[in-house]
Amino acid sequence: MLAEIVISGSGGQGVLVIGRLIAEAGFLEGQEVVWSPSYSAEKRGGTVSCMVTISTEKVGSLMITRPTIGIAMNHAAAIKLEPALKKDGWLLVNQAENGYQPARKDIHFLTVSANQLALELGSESTANIVALGALLSIHPVVSLDGVIKAMAQLFGSKILEMNKQALIKGSKSVKTKDEKI
Amino acid sequence: MDKVIYTKPEAMEDRFTHYCPGCGHSTITRLIAEALDTLKIQEKAVCVSSIGCSVSSYYYFKCDGLEAAHGRAPAVATAIKRCRPELYPFTIQGDGDLAAIGTAETVHASARGENIVLFFVNNAIYGMTGGQMAPTTLVGMNSTSTPGGRKTDTAGYPIRVCEMLATLDGPAYITRVSLHNPANVRKAKKAIETAFRVQMAGLGLSLVEILSPCPISWKLEPTNALKFIEETMIKQYPLGDFKVIDGVKALIEGVNPCSPK
Amino acid sequence: MSKKVLMVGNVAIAEGAVLAGCQAYFGYPITPQNEILEHLSKRLPELGRVFLQTESELAAISMVIGAGATGVRAMTSTSSPGFSLQQEGISYMAGAQIPGVIVNVMRGGPGLGNIGGAQGDYFQAVKGGGHGDYRIINLAPASVQEMMDLTMLAFELADKYRNPTFILVDGFLGQAMEPVIIRDAVTKFPAKPWAITGAKGRPKNLLDSFEMNPVNYPSRVKKLLDKYEIIRRNEVRFEGLLLEDAEIVVVAYGSASRSAMSAVKLARTDGIKAGLLRPITLFPFPEKALRELSLRIQAFLVAELSGGQMIEDVRLAVGLDCEVDLVNRYAGVPLPAEEILESLRGIALKQRKN
Repeated sequence: MLAEIVISGSGGQGVLVIGRLIAEAGFLEGQEVVWSPSYSAEKRGGTVSCMVTISTEKVGSLMITRPTIGIAMNHAAAIKLEPALKKDGWLLVNQAENGYQPARKDIHFLTVSANQLALELGSESTANIVALGALLSIHPVVSLDGVIKAMAQLFGSKILEMNKQALIKGSKSVKTKDEKI
Repeated sequence: MDKVIYTKPEAMEDRFTHYCPGCGHSTITRLIAEALDTLKIQEKAVCVSSIGCSVSSYYYFKCDGLEAAHGRAPAVATAIKRCRPELYPFTIQGDGDLAAIGTAETVHASARGENIVLFFVNNAIYGMTGGQMAPTTLVGMNSTSTPGGRKTDTAGYPIRVCEMLATLDGPAYITRVSLHNPANVRKAKKAIETAFRVQMAGLGLSLVEILSPCPISWKLEPTNALKFIEETMIKQYPLGDFKVIDGVKALIEGVNPCSPK
Repeated sequence: MSKKVLMVGNVAIAEGAVLAGCQAYFGYPITPQNEILEHLSKRLPELGRVFLQTESELAAISMVIGAGATGVRAMTSTSSPGFSLQQEGISYMAGAQIPGVIVNVMRGGPGLGNIGGAQGDYFQAVKGGGHGDYRIINLAPASVQEMMDLTMLAFELADKYRNPTFILVDGFLGQAMEPVIIRDAVTKFPAKPWAITGAKGRPKNLLDSFEMNPVNYPSRVKKLLDKYEIIRRNEVRFEGLLLEDAEIVVVAYGSASRSAMSAVKLARTDGIKAGLLRPITLFPFPEKALRELSLRIQAFLVAELSGGQMIEDVRLAVGLDCEVDLVNRYAGVPLPAEEILESLRGIALKQRKN
């Protein structure tokens, strides 16, 4: 198994955190993992990205140029991620705004209204975790349990419960416009 | 039986120095060695030499010695003290070393209040390299790089190190002494001893600035060089204490005599 | 049982230092290595060891000199512009034979450059950088695990040879996170009778690089040069991947070697017989291993994050009969595996035509 995941969004959207959670969960599940902040030229201008590789084999390149999974926390990120995705790759877009429509037909496309769902739980700050839950329900590169364990390690007890709920809520929420699913 | 009343200090090596005739460095070497004897700390002292005429000054003491790059002696001494607090590192630095290239190290070791001793030999000239302008060269003073004398419009003004460092909260003891006559040499000796005692008592950083003759680069007879200090240099660099924290005052007045650790 | 955790590269260096018995760290903040300084600012005082944030990289290296001279294990870390400042002290350390570890988490340059990862300090680190006749042992980790392991080795080699030792790594690895097996702490340290510990019950110890007597100086430098020859003989380290039947050899270190590893594997699925030689020590350079490979392989591809620096050493090692190509990125930009693969395809195509 080889999953090459790029997560992208604006500063403050918790992009690095979900990357870290995927990496920690993969690690806890005995996989080879690499987490790396992104160094694309587009890093400037408020965009934050990170790359996570989960693999059964020793990982080579730290850098992911053609991800198999893209998580876009906003539309600007989706526009950049879509063309980079591998054929048959997966693109998850946070639909906080107007609907994003992918141009490519050779990728799987998922949406989640992460901000709105997070607000229903009390705070938009868990939107990233909702998005992660959504992705994992369709494409379990790591298990929800693994992510919950990772959260228990990384989060303080104050926010842990809310984030657990966010993960579960996200996992039950996926709206797909993908005919392949 | 004859009584020996004057001899080479125990802590001083039995060898010739590289210092020129009439140079103040020889006197300073002796005064430091005397202090090491008096305080019985030769076995714990570490001489950190600098670059300039004070280079390899560790040759002349019977204590461990270490070479620092130009200007970096306070940083080197800092690390020695932090890693082996039982040692007593001291630096011997000239004006170019301490007040030009090593200004940052001097200021920051002082600001941190490192428990070390800095001996600052101010002869207002770069002796080793042949008499160029130093940061402490007086306005109008000749040097091989200020033809016709130091001019303020291009070369700026001399730095008063003690006055500058005394504004910091870190240092414990800052004083300026001179070697221009026996009475002042005795005061210098006292200051050097006090600086070590400050370190032994763990009170913080001491800087002893010593106005010191450089007859060769000043192009003066040795006696005239002493006169130059007395009549000209002291006007720019007044003698005296610039910072003496309460603990050091008590130490000097003997209220709280220190015992070597 | 050894503990395995996910760790950022820079933190692995810091923890490696702790495990190696580093008693004193001196550093000045500069991106992309700040995690080392920040981590040790907490870790070392907890252990009763010395941490000091210095006024400059000049002061930091001078403090490493002071600390190393007293016989304790000492380290500083920096990134390229700061590394330039430290060359002064490194030359003094080499001259006075004071051990210490200097970490350079390289970024784009010259000048202020940028904060992306790079390998543009190869010449500076491997060939000298400071003034005078000296060499430095250069260790080049290519994973977070190696950032811990080679940091520990750096302390050992520094003590063994009384020589400064570099960890030369790029910012991409410094910032990356990977699983790391935490090693056992070092408990045995070599005796250092030369150290500055106070002249009690022994003749005084002097540590310097200066020699006033011109007659004595050549023999003093000769001793250093002889030592570097011993290091050349004994300390070469490298790793080979798929070299046995390789027809093209990629030579790469650090994060570039990780991209190269992916590229070599992809090339194999394309039917291209590629292999990888990864120098772990840059000085001493695995020149013998490369020379031996050059007897049966005529095509080499150097992948590096610089304008082309290590390639000069590869060319020297393999000689003029071999084709040595360069695939590179510079200015703080990573080198994707796909680009190395493209170069491999180009070379393979040329080989088939011939």
